[in-house]
Amino acid sequence: MSEVTRKPTTGPAAASPGEVPTIWTTGWTDVFNTGTWRAATPIHEWRPSPCHADCPIGNTIPGWIADIREGAYQEAWLSLVETNPFPSVTGRVCHHPCEGHCNREVIEAVVGINGLEHFLGDRALEEGWALPAPAESQGKRVAVVGGGPAGLSCAYHLRRLGYEVTIYEAREELGGLLRYGIPEYRLAAGVVDAEIARLLDMGIEVRLNAGLADRAALESLEAEYDAVFLAVGAQQAKILRHLEGGAGAGRVLDGLEYLRRCTEGVARDLGERMTVIGGGSAAMDVARSARRLGHQVSVVALESRGAMPAQPEEIEQALEEGVALFDGAMVAAVEAGADGGLTLKCVKVTLDLGAPAGELRPVPVEGGEFALAADVIVTAIGQDPDLAPFNGAFGDGSSDGSSVDGATGGFVECAVLVADPVTLATTRAGVFAGGDVASTNRFVSEAIGAGRRAAYSIAEYLSHPDACIPERPKLEDSVNRTEVNSFYFEFSERRERVVAPAAERLQAFAETISVYSTEDANAEAGRCMSCGFCVQCDNCFVFCPDMAVQKDPSAAGAEGVAPGASECASEGAPPAGAAVRVVAAVPCVGAPADSGPFYFVLDQYCKGCGLCVTECPRGAVRLEQVNL
Amino acid sequence: MHTYELDEQTVFNSGHNACPGCGEALAVRYVLNTMGPNTIGVVPPSCIAIICGPQPYSSMRIPVYQTTLEASAASAAGISRALKRQGKHDVNVLAMAGDGGTYDIGFQALSGAAERNEDMVYVCLDNEGYMNTGAQKSSSTPYLAVTSSTPGGKPSDKKDITEIMAAHRIPYVATATVGYPDDLARKVAKARDMEGMRFIVVLTPCLDGWGVADDGAVRVSRLAVDTGFFPLYEVEDGERYTINHGPKGIPVERYLEQQKRYRHLDADQIKEIQTGVDHRWSLLQARAESMARPVVCD
Amino acid sequence: MSATATAPRSSPPANEVQLAGDMRLLLSGNHAVSYGAMRARPQVVPIYPITPQTPIAEKISDLQLAGDFDVDLMTAESEHSAMSACITASLTGVRVFTATASQGLFLMHEMLHYASGARAPIVMVNVNRTIGSPWGFWPDQTDSLAQRDTGWIQYYTENGQESLDTVIQAFKVAEEVLLPAMVVHEAFYVSHALEPVTVPSQERVDAYLPPFDPVHKLDTEIGESWGNVVNQDMFYRHRKDLGTAMNQVLEVSVRADAEYADMMGRGYGILEKYRTEDADMLIVAFGAMVGTARVAVDMLRAAGKAVGLLKIKLFRPFPVEAVRAAVAGVPRLVVMERNFSPGGGGVLHQELKAALYGMPDPPAVHGYLAGVGGVNVSPKKMVELAEKALTDEPVPDSVWQR
Repeated sequence: MSEVTRKPTTGPAAASPGEVPTIWTTGWTDVFNTGTWRAATPIHEWRPSPCHADCPIGNTIPGWIADIREGAYQEAWLSLVETNPFPSVTGRVCHHPCEGHCNREVIEAVVGINGLEHFLGDRALEEGWALPAPAESQGKRVAVVGGGPAGLSCAYHLRRLGYEVTIYEAREELGGLLRYGIPEYRLAAGVVDAEIARLLDMGIEVRLNAGLADRAALESLEAEYDAVFLAVGAQQAKILRHLEGGAGAGRVLDGLEYLRRCTEGVARDLGERMTVIGGGSAAMDVARSARRLGHQVSVVALESRGAMPAQPEEIEQALEEGVALFDGAMVAAVEAGADGGLTLKCVKVTLDLGAPAGELRPVPVEGGEFALAADVIVTAIGQDPDLAPFNGAFGDGSSDGSSVDGATGGFVECAVLVADPVTLATTRAGVFAGGDVASTNRFVSEAIGAGRRAAYSIAEYLSHPDACIPERPKLEDSVNRTEVNSFYFEFSERRERVVAPAAERLQAFAETISVYSTEDANAEAGRCMSCGFCVQCDNCFVFCPDMAVQKDPSAAGAEGVAPGASECASEGAPPAGAAVRVVAAVPCVGAPADSGPFYFVLDQYCKGCGLCVTECPRGAVRLEQVNL
Repeated sequence: MHTYELDEQTVFNSGHNACPGCGEALAVRYVLNTMGPNTIGVVPPSCIAIICGPQPYSSMRIPVYQTTLEASAASAAGISRALKRQGKHDVNVLAMAGDGGTYDIGFQALSGAAERNEDMVYVCLDNEGYMNTGAQKSSSTPYLAVTSSTPGGKPSDKKDITEIMAAHRIPYVATATVGYPDDLARKVAKARDMEGMRFIVVLTPCLDGWGVADDGAVRVSRLAVDTGFFPLYEVEDGERYTINHGPKGIPVERYLEQQKRYRHLDADQIKEIQTGVDHRWSLLQARAESMARPVVCD
Repeated sequence: MSATATAPRSSPPANEVQLAGDMRLLLSGNHAVSYGAMRARPQVVPIYPITPQTPIAEKISDLQLAGDFDVDLMTAESEHSAMSACITASLTGVRVFTATASQGLFLMHEMLHYASGARAPIVMVNVNRTIGSPWGFWPDQTDSLAQRDTGWIQYYTENGQESLDTVIQAFKVAEEVLLPAMVVHEAFYVSHALEPVTVPSQERVDAYLPPFDPVHKLDTEIGESWGNVVNQDMFYRHRKDLGTAMNQVLEVSVRADAEYADMMGRGYGILEKYRTEDADMLIVAFGAMVGTARVAVDMLRAAGKAVGLLKIKLFRPFPVEAVRAAVAGVPRLVVMERNFSPGGGGVLHQELKAALYGMPDPPAVHGYLAGVGGVNVSPKKMVELAEKALTDEPVPDSVWQR
């Protein structure tokens, strides 16, 4: 018999003291720094959408569309009027470049941004929503010369910034082009009245019938006010001299004049057959107004139909209304016609692509001659600003050189008052200029945008403590089609505003386009992909295999608690809620102040795969290479 | 626009060893975080075993037992039966195995467990090959896919594990993938709340083994569904079919072209694969339709 | 310590002891195992049938059906799965029993390592049967001896009563050191031979064997995971820990047996010396051949030959110190065994020589491959072989004898 030697007791029943067990675990992998594997790091960043980049007013379009999606219409409108005090106007007449690069086209069609703006604008008028109250007074006064879209927009923003504003308007009513240059069927006077009245309610002084007569008047404004904004527009119609003499004498009318006569109801006596020369919105406005007044109308435009500056829907509706379009053509000469009318000698043309920017150089097509019969010719080929009153006040910065002679070949860009493209400052200290008087980019929204820019520039000039000139994002920096993830967007047909049938349209000058129903607006807002504009969809969070994207802002940039830390009764395990250092939390860059919860990336765990970037539906996360 | 509604519990932990952008890790996240903390897991040798973490650390905040490659279902059955004997009827048992451990070497244990209707959720994280050992072919590898053991492309078809498991007439069989995480989580939750043998095969792209970009796991797995290559469906009791997501009219070439393992295909081969996909889809539809019809006996 | 490695015993063993509440039944060795398992109260029994193990499973099923044995009998689709389920059920914290034989044991081989590596105190009976190919059903220990490196405790028993008692003891030992234990008896000679067997009362077995309640287990309240990948250092330590636990078995097993003997009236030790006083030679045997050897020793003693018997019951861990003590002063040993390791010889022969190496005045050792493949070794034949061994010079290799 032998005694069995007693061995030291080790093994699972009494694991070696101080040694890590070899067979059961005691803790969690969140002690590891797998973030060191990373070669790139995702950054949540609010990036401009193409619609934002394309908006002349600088409107953050996805933001207010997101509000519409949530049914918060007033919030949406308030967001919209941060930049644009005239959504009901622009919702009707804006040439909506915002829809030009809309990424939604990868799914089916661009979003009806203009229609949504129209919807919000009209909803605000119906509900009587007021514009935001002006900020604390800055104790300074600014004169705005010109009560058109640029001047009104500038006055609005200056007022919001806390300045006393006086508008000097040459005519008997405010509105400028909105009132006198756009026919009623496109923009009802009531809409213009209501949006201007709401704006004036902010406390803006208006002097009507108070145009800037001469240089002395400008100088007296300079003396009286801390700054002056010139937005007198472009009232002088360009003329085609080769048509005006001879047979054409007395039968050539400019478009602005015609539209003015229309509003006065005296346009009918011009004769039955009208030829409108021009390819822009003004030409369409003239042609379509004339159709409503019973004329036979033909339009001769230098550009081919696709290149005409008028909106495609305007051209289409004009054609539906019976306008005959001769695109890619020009009127070379006018002769007396056999029937007491005129014979227009026309020729098909192509445009010389080698012409200097801003100049149209038509090249007649051999054998492309044709003739049109007309009683009256209306030219709608643009306007020049009337710079005469300034009388050299701006030195070489302005000139009168707007003669256009089609017969001799040069359609020269008109002369405008030169202002700095960024600050809109003129050569006179404290005098700023914008809108048609200082730009050839003749769109209502461009003018509104210029007014906004000028207001902030003036505020900067007047040393406003907060204001700075808003930077307009570049299209090339905006979210492009390859950066949106089309999977997340289901096919949804674009809602169109209802346009009255042509026959009905021709009966009167009533508005031809209806506003979206609430249902249509909601559906259309639902189509917006919100490019670059985080809507907290959680995809970056959902698709992180490392749980490195987190959405609790309290843990950002601080000692954090291990995500998912929970009770662990295991011996040797880290205690519940063990602190794990959040090495770096990268919050959203450029997020609006009230954007609510945001995502951050746990530097310790992010391996840099880029799934969050790829699966972001809207390009609001980007990947940045790590410099090792 | 589409957004995901996911109800996650924090079971899967950061700091695990999966490759950046790993489709399988993403699947593990939704499987574990849906099963919840009241779960005991079984994992055989696989990428999942690596993801589990190095001793003494675990990436999974539940008890997990690492078994042998062929034994997942049997090991899970042992736990399940022990729990019942302990009166712990509310604790879930979850096996998570790869396709090698499911379609191939683990198939016998799986079939046996299914026949006995063992009480467990068995999730096959299917990356269509032995990816953890350097991308050799398994019986889950699809026709013509290149692996390190089929450098000229696999000459035989992928085994249809879903139909095989459905033929065991177990309570629940489903297919899922990480490109549809809400569908995956819903199926895991549904399986969790049932009893008996539940089987879910989750297509989980292996970035390295398939030749897919680091950010491509979700895109590729979605294309697998949207091209009809891997339809998402459920079979209850072996006969009640529900098709969740089928082809959306996207040619299978869009799926294949995302992956280097198919880079060698010529137009005829792509056409052949398309024909196979179309055929299997029509069979699935027919099966779903015929199985849904009540049997009328005269 | 009071317990001893070697049971003091007079012939026959005290397997006829019957205490109050005990049942005395005529049972085959396999059925005795089933009763032993029933008394140990395992909660889960994953099992797969194989000849000659099947009566064990069948009797458990009968006892379960009769309501005597409250157990979850999992009819696995293979031994591999049966053992896989055994491991996890054990790690989940319930007592687990199973049984197999031959090829079944081989199919389990991989999982046997997993069981010991995971420190799962499973108890399994293996019925020794020849291994293919060719196909056979005969008693042969090579199947279980081929598993001697798997980290399982191995007991070899000589009859049904011992198998029954050893199953109960094995749980006691296994659950203390956290290693799985294999109780091995031979096909037909033990498995199917009917003998009167005492089945101890449930109360006494319960008093002897408390419920299994491990500290570390697969439990959602604890959260420990098992078997994650280790580095070299951890693996080294893990194996070393396993070895330490295995070494503990010697002492724990002796104590468990002594305690059992106190409570049930039957003990076996980890080895047994039978009529070894003043012996010129000891027959060394394990398994069913021990019973034959007892008769042969009696015959040899009657013929005036000083030959005794050394029974090896605990084979893993091999009780080196106890064996050395038991053979001290004996000039000659003859191993008679029913197994064969090609290229090595008789496994016990090798193990014994290794155990004695370096011992002062070691005995000469004969190794006889008697009964390999189930060939019958009668008492008369054993006497004949012993007499030959008394005169022949031992050779290093095992020698075929029939």
